[in-house]
Amino acid sequence: MTHYRRKSAKTKMLSSVFIHSVIYAVLCFFFFVGIGFAQSAAAPDEENCLFCHRYPQMGRYDETGKKRVLYINEKMFANSVHGNLRCKSCHVGLDTIPHTNIEKVDCSTKCHIAEPSTNKEFSHINMIEKFEASVHGQIINGKAKPYPEDLPTCKYCHTNHMYNPFRSNWGKSEALSKETLARCVGCHTREQWAKRFYSHFTHRMRRRRSQAEIITLCTSCHENREKMARHGLETIETYKDTFHFTQVKYGVENAPDCIDCHVPINYSTHYIRPKTDPTSPVYITNRVMTCSNQGGLKTCHPGAHAEFARGRVHAYGFKAKIAAYNEKLKIPSQTKNLVAERAQAEIEHKEIFHYNVLKIIRLFYKILIAVVIGSMVIHQMLDYIRTKKRHH
Amino acid sequence: MEKEQETKKKIPDVKISDISFKTELDGDKLYFIRLNRSERVQHLIFVICFIILVITGFMTKISKDMLGWLGTAGNIVFYYRSLLHRTAGVIMILTSLYHIYYLAFKPAGRRLLFDMLPRIKDITDMISNIRYYLGLEDNPPEFDRFSYKHKLEYGALFAGTTLMSVTGVLMWTEQDWSKFLIDISTLVHGMEAILACLAIMVWHLYEVHLRPHKFPIDHMWLTGVIDEEEMKAEYPIHYKKIMNDPELQKIYTEVRILTDQGLKKIGFIK
Repeated sequence: MTHYRRKSAKTKMLSSVFIHSVIYAVLCFFFFVGIGFAQSAAAPDEENCLFCHRYPQMGRYDETGKKRVLYINEKMFANSVHGNLRCKSCHVGLDTIPHTNIEKVDCSTKCHIAEPSTNKEFSHINMIEKFEASVHGQIINGKAKPYPEDLPTCKYCHTNHMYNPFRSNWGKSEALSKETLARCVGCHTREQWAKRFYSHFTHRMRRRRSQAEIITLCTSCHENREKMARHGLETIETYKDTFHFTQVKYGVENAPDCIDCHVPINYSTHYIRPKTDPTSPVYITNRVMTCSNQGGLKTCHPGAHAEFARGRVHAYGFKAKIAAYNEKLKIPSQTKNLVAERAQAEIEHKEIFHYNVLKIIRLFYKILIAVVIGSMVIHQMLDYIRTKKRHH
Repeated sequence: MEKEQETKKKIPDVKISDISFKTELDGDKLYFIRLNRSERVQHLIFVICFIILVITGFMTKISKDMLGWLGTAGNIVFYYRSLLHRTAGVIMILTSLYHIYYLAFKPAGRRLLFDMLPRIKDITDMISNIRYYLGLEDNPPEFDRFSYKHKLEYGALFAGTTLMSVTGVLMWTEQDWSKFLIDISTLVHGMEAILACLAIMVWHLYEVHLRPHKFPIDHMWLTGVIDEEEMKAEYPIHYKKIMNDPELQKIYTEVRILTDQGLKKIGFIK
């Protein structure tokens, strides 16, 4: 992350003319002076982008005041998941200098690498298609969702901290010993390739994020009340009231996070479906399987039966509150609020009863505690004062 | 002159505190049994279990930000937390079941149950005791073996332990019940825990630790006995009953010699 540790200057708006002249000046300077200092590259930079982009001072503030770092740390890039790609594989265009024809990087671009299982050109399109069909996609029931800017993109979760931590640890552990490598490079003679391949699949043998990190990632959106309300959703404070989260708090091994119950078994996270979708693990008929054995992956509640599994896992949130309130008034929801509308549709009659019972118990105990403890405190204080008085 | 000198010599030897200390240690003294051996053991087990249960139970309510320092040790901490909580819970339930057996089948237990039963006198006692606190009466009411304070506390403990045991066992076997029942259990278990914990802190710990003549601790929970003065002051009706009835005297009184030997005998010192 060294390239973010630049001196932070005060945000300053520069006119594009000025930027261009600066870039020209820098180019000319490096053309004559910089060549002498150029180092040999770890990975061949065939497009010669690093001719400029290897200089740490390179960057600017864009029109919105956001800091853009245009510096590429060659070693870090070579160790990243995309380290074997050329710049132009993803950054399409960029034929002129200064770069006037910049396009946003599209992860579904075919990047001229042969995918080994089919020998076709590789792209992330498979994942993107699955993601678009998921609950986080832009389209629902053939219609575009409102507020598309709220929805997550690839980079929202795939923050490029994906430098494989094991990359630099070769020779330091049993799994990453030189001996392991020797077994590969016997046939696959290019060591760089063997290391990359090894990382590629070991990366997928476990989850990259811990349970607590998953919760942090999901709550970064799902705890934002306004954002969730725009889409008719509750915030997942309701999850934080569960014993599942208690285990996550302590970092218990295999503690259930969002993924464990919401990602269909044997699918990746990109496939999350709404609970009304029959493929979703929280769909009512899939619950027993989800709670009990997760298709053999985990055994959380081995003997779970339907009555247990069909119950509510998250605590009751404000949807239940709204539904219970509407039922009490015996009127259909009058508000145009999306949350209220969905509350009406989603919260069953039985659940409203459950919510009310729990509410009454909680209220009863609150009153009981206040009255009992309050009168106890008064009683004992009186006792103390009287006894002291009598003794003196 | 000689006489005067003699008295002068004697004065420094006779300190009031020395005398009282000496007599207390030397003389045989009448003590009244409040808790017999079985009850003391039951109480001790209950205290240990209660403390473990409170700590390991409220550990689940700590916020995430306060647990960061645990790091990877959290997994082990949580494992032992769960184990301890369940173990202490089981021991507490077994102790409670033994206590019910004790109440039903042991003579001492039956007497305890009989004396613990609520009576109309408790209500009048409570009213006049509060009147006494407020300065409306000059003397507190005369209590029998158990005052209304003891009865309320015992009743609360009985109800609380029953609720906590039932809801605890329900949560332990959660997959055999409907989720709604588990939700209720979780809520009741948590709320009852807060109530019980606060009640013990305010009511019981005050009674045995902070009351002016008990501070810093009432040793009765270990020795099981109180002396005659305290008995007269705190439980006068019971005192009169005992003194008028030789049968009760056999049960409730004990002459203990509070020398070092005597203190050893009742387990006060080693």
